[in-house]
Parts: sequence; structure tokens; C-alpha cells
Amino acid sequence: MRERTETSEDAVSVEGLVKDFRPGFGLVRKRVLHGISFDVKRGEIFGFVGPNGAGKTTTLKLLMGLIHPQEGSARILDHDIRESEFRRHVGFLPENPYFYDYLTGVEFLEFYARVSGVPRGERPARIEQLLADVGLSHAGGERLRNYSKGMLQRIGIAQALIHDPTVVFLDEPMSGLDPIGRKEIRDLILRLNEGGKTIFMNTHILSDVEMLCHRVAIIVKGQIRFEGGPEDFLSAGHGGVDVVLSQMPPQALLDLEEQLELEVRGQGERIEANVAEKSLPDLLRGALAAGAEVVSVTPHRASLETVFLDAVEQGNQDDGSANRAEGGAR
Amino acid sequence: MSSLGRIVAIAGNTVREAIRNKVLYALLFFGVLLIGTGILVSSLSYVEGDRILQSVGLSSLRLFGAAIAIFVGVNLIHKEVDRRTIYTVLSKPLSRAEFLIGKFAGLVATLWLQVAVMAVAFVAVSLLSGAPLTGGHAAAVVLAAIELAVLVAVATLFSSFTTPMLASLFTAGFYVVGHVTRDLRELGSQSDVSSVQTMTAFLHRSFPDLEAFNLTTHAIHGLPITQAQVVWPLLYGVAYMGVLLTLACLVFQRRDFR
Repeated sequence: MRERTETSEDAVSVEGLVKDFRPGFGLVRKRVLHGISFDVKRGEIFGFVGPNGAGKTTTLKLLMGLIHPQEGSARILDHDIRESEFRRHVGFLPENPYFYDYLTGVEFLEFYARVSGVPRGERPARIEQLLADVGLSHAGGERLRNYSKGMLQRIGIAQALIHDPTVVFLDEPMSGLDPIGRKEIRDLILRLNEGGKTIFMNTHILSDVEMLCHRVAIIVKGQIRFEGGPEDFLSAGHGGVDVVLSQMPPQALLDLEEQLELEVRGQGERIEANVAEKSLPDLLRGALAAGAEVVSVTPHRASLETVFLDAVEQGNQDDGSANRAEGGAR
Repeated sequence: MSSLGRIVAIAGNTVREAIRNKVLYALLFFGVLLIGTGILVSSLSYVEGDRILQSVGLSSLRLFGAAIAIFVGVNLIHKEVDRRTIYTVLSKPLSRAEFLIGKFAGLVATLWLQVAVMAVAFVAVSLLSGAPLTGGHAAAVVLAAIELAVLVAVATLFSSFTTPMLASLFTAGFYVVGHVTRDLRELGSQSDVSSVQTMTAFLHRSFPDLEAFNLTTHAIHGLPITQAQVVWPLLYGVAYMGVLLTLACLVFQRRDFR
């Protein structure tokens, strides 16, 4: 994942959002978001990650005002999402977007420019620029029904950018695209971010997140299980620290291995030991006291995949416990 | 951009969609064809040929207009939700009320264009057959157009919260009831039972009196039409549309787009 300069200003701030749905015509409500909270900093690419059905799209629809929360609040650029004012500064590309396919690319962008309040005089230049930015200058006069999926995704991003928003929300922007299409969208997202836009991206494709995002939130079964950047993976209970030692007496190593639950590789001159972060000082003290030399100390960073899979497993376990508790109560 | 500008943008897009929809052309074609068959029907009668021709013509215009209003009106919102086009539109700085009113205005404009085409066909058929044309015919067409706008407002209200199937049933029911409430009230007023009188009067007041927009008989029989017979239904139609659209906006405002 990518590093970025820290900023304290929030572009998006979500506090305790709860959403219930009534499946079918049933009277019973099903809770799909259980009071989620997270923040997106200005200028970052934020990955909102979760398995299918975790509540990613529901969260995005709440933020866009397409559905209403039962509880909680959210602010975008310091505007309450119940106001419509914040939408002047926000662009949105839904998942698998369907557009008015009877319009040409230019007519389509002209329509969104009008409803977004782009002044008439600025529209032609803005549309031309956006078509060039998303690589569709050649297809502006074609009807959208003749566009490929990749082209639709790109014209969708263009409509999201038509009023030059500050924050852009993208729901599964790479879904269903071939490798070339995915690379084009990735490059476009990076260019937008370099131009100062905050990007909020829903996805379940972890490789894209690792390549693009500064920070992530992992949502599982309607609950946020992790929020942070690569530096937070260290404290997420994964990996520990790799220590390389030389000239370590075998008996001292055996003692330390037993005391500190080390994972040891190699023998003789060069020993590699993996130790929990909290036990690192004890290992270093013990090794130096035994006359060993410390060659290197490397924090072992967990991959996003590990963090994600652990979050999913934790979510499943909690769900199972809740179900058992509910069954017991009955 | 002003609220009006955004409404006009939505309305313009709705008109453009309708203009590029082949199904509407098919409906319009059959409407015009039926107006044309008035010549054939009138030739079967030795008397009142002109009146039969114009009765068929104006009735076709009103019936096909109503069919198009219901057919397109009930899908007005559903199509936007079903195709998820509404997600991107409502994420723009546009209120839901502006969106709904824009859709309504666009459909009414489309419908009025179609009424204009059918009116031209009616005039052409009348001229070809030598049937007289008066201001009464123009008034009948104008009020028919207002009636269709009221019907679109009814369809908009239902389409703002229910499925196209139910919305079309409700709207068609509203159309039928709206044309019989006046007769029901007349029948009820002749009843000796006061509860029947109250009930029929209540029905007449609750549902739109769509017969108020029907000047077909006056037009084809050359009966005099007073200013009040045109102005009052116009104001009545506008007021009814206002109430229906306000209700539709209130319902639409609370709706979740899942």
C-alpha cells in the first residue's frame, strides 16, 4: 500500500451508522449495518474493503443520500449528508453503472453538466477535457449503447467528475474489466489523486487496494473490523518482528526459545528468529547477554490479505457466537 | 444553475428518451390510424357522418393519449431505479422534488407533442371529409391535453412508491372512476337514501372529475362553449396536479433506493 503525508482534516466522517432493511414484504427488519464509524482524510485514496454482501454498497448509498440511516450520522466536507449542498463537491460512480444509452457520450456529459450546475459557457471545454482525460475523445459522438464495458466505466467516471468535485466515490470501479481496462482505471484514479482529489473506493479486489490506497477500512457483516494504513498492519496482531543473530550459543537459544515462544530458522553461525513485538526487548537482552551479535531487526509487516482474511474470520466467529447466544436465549 | 434550470434539464432528457423510444411511435401510429378510420366508420352511416367522424377522432385522441400517459407514466420512476440511472442523477446537487417534477414535466411535454400530432391528423381527416372545424374543437383538444397531464400526475404519484403493474392498475382505475363520478353523483342525488347521496358526493369530491375536461359532445354538436367551461377545468386541473405532485414529492423524499 502507498504512504502519504498525514493530514488531520476529514473529507468523510462517519459516526455510528445503522441501517435496517425489510427483505421482501416481511415485517421483520434485517440489520445490514451495525453502527459503523470511520474517517477518510482529505487527499487520500481510501479503500473500503469487504466480501460480497458486507455492506459496502449500502454504506456508499447512505453517504450519497440514496437511502436513509436508522441511526447515526455522516459528514462529507463538513456538510451533513442530509443536506444536498455537499453534492456540489462530490462525484459518484455506482457499481455496474447503467446510463442513458440513447444518449451520445457528449449528450450524456452535457446532461450531467446541466444538472450539476456547470455554467453553460464552461460546458463544451469541460466535456472535451474530460473525454480526453478518460481516453474517449474518439467516442464522444457515439451512443452509449455501443460502448464497451470499459468505455462505460470511463464515461461513468467522467460524469462523476463533470462538476470538478473534491471527493470522488467509486463503487467497484474495476469490476468486470479486463487487465488493460483495470490498468487504465487505476492510472486514472492515481492521476485524480495527484490532482488533489480525495478518492473513496469500494472494492473487494485486494491487489487494487494495495496498489492504490493510502488507507483502508475492512467491513465484514456490517461491522468495521479494521481501519488504518500499512503502518497499522503491524499493530493488527500479525507478523511480529524478524531478528537475525550471529554467534548465538545453542543452549542460550534453546532457553530463549522456550521462554519467549520464538520461531527459529537456521542453525550455527546465522539464526533467524521471529518474535512477538512485546517480547523483542527480552530477546535482545538475552541474546546480547549470551554474547551473540544482533545482525538485523525487521518488523514483519502482515499483508492486506492476511488482515482481510483475519477480519472475515473474526466476523464469522462473532456471528456464530451471536447466533448461538440467540439460540440459547430462545 | 437555478432549480428551474435543473428541472428543465431532467424534463429535456425525459423528452429525448421518449422521442428515441420506438414503442411510443407505434402507439402514436395506431392513434393516428384510428383517427383516420373515422372516415371509414362515418361512411357506414347515412346520417351524422361528420359527427361520427369527429367523435371517433376526438375519442381516439383522448383514449390513446390516456394509454400513453399510463404506459409511460407508471414506468417513469421505476425505469430509472431499475436501470440504476437514478443513482448518478440523485448524487448530483439536485433535490428529489426537482427530479420528480422534471420527469413529470418531460412526460407531459412528450404527451402534448403526441396530442399535437394526433390533433393535426384529426384536422386533416376533418378537412378531407369536409366536416366543420370550430373553436370548440380546439377547446376540446386543449382540455383533453390538460386531462392527460392530470393523469400523468396520478401515474407519477403511484410510480413514486409502487411497482409499474400496481401503478398502472391504480392509474387506470383512477381514470375510469374519474369519468363516472359525475354520473354517480347525479344518480346518488336522485336517491332517497341520504347515505347514498353522501357517499356519491364524497366520491365525486375525492376523485378528479375527469368529465370536466370532456368537451367532445359540445365540439362535435356545435354547442356553445362558455369561457367558464374552459377556464374552470383548467384551474381545476392545475390545482389537482399541484396536490398530486406535492404528495408524490413527499413520498419520493422518504423512499430508499436499494
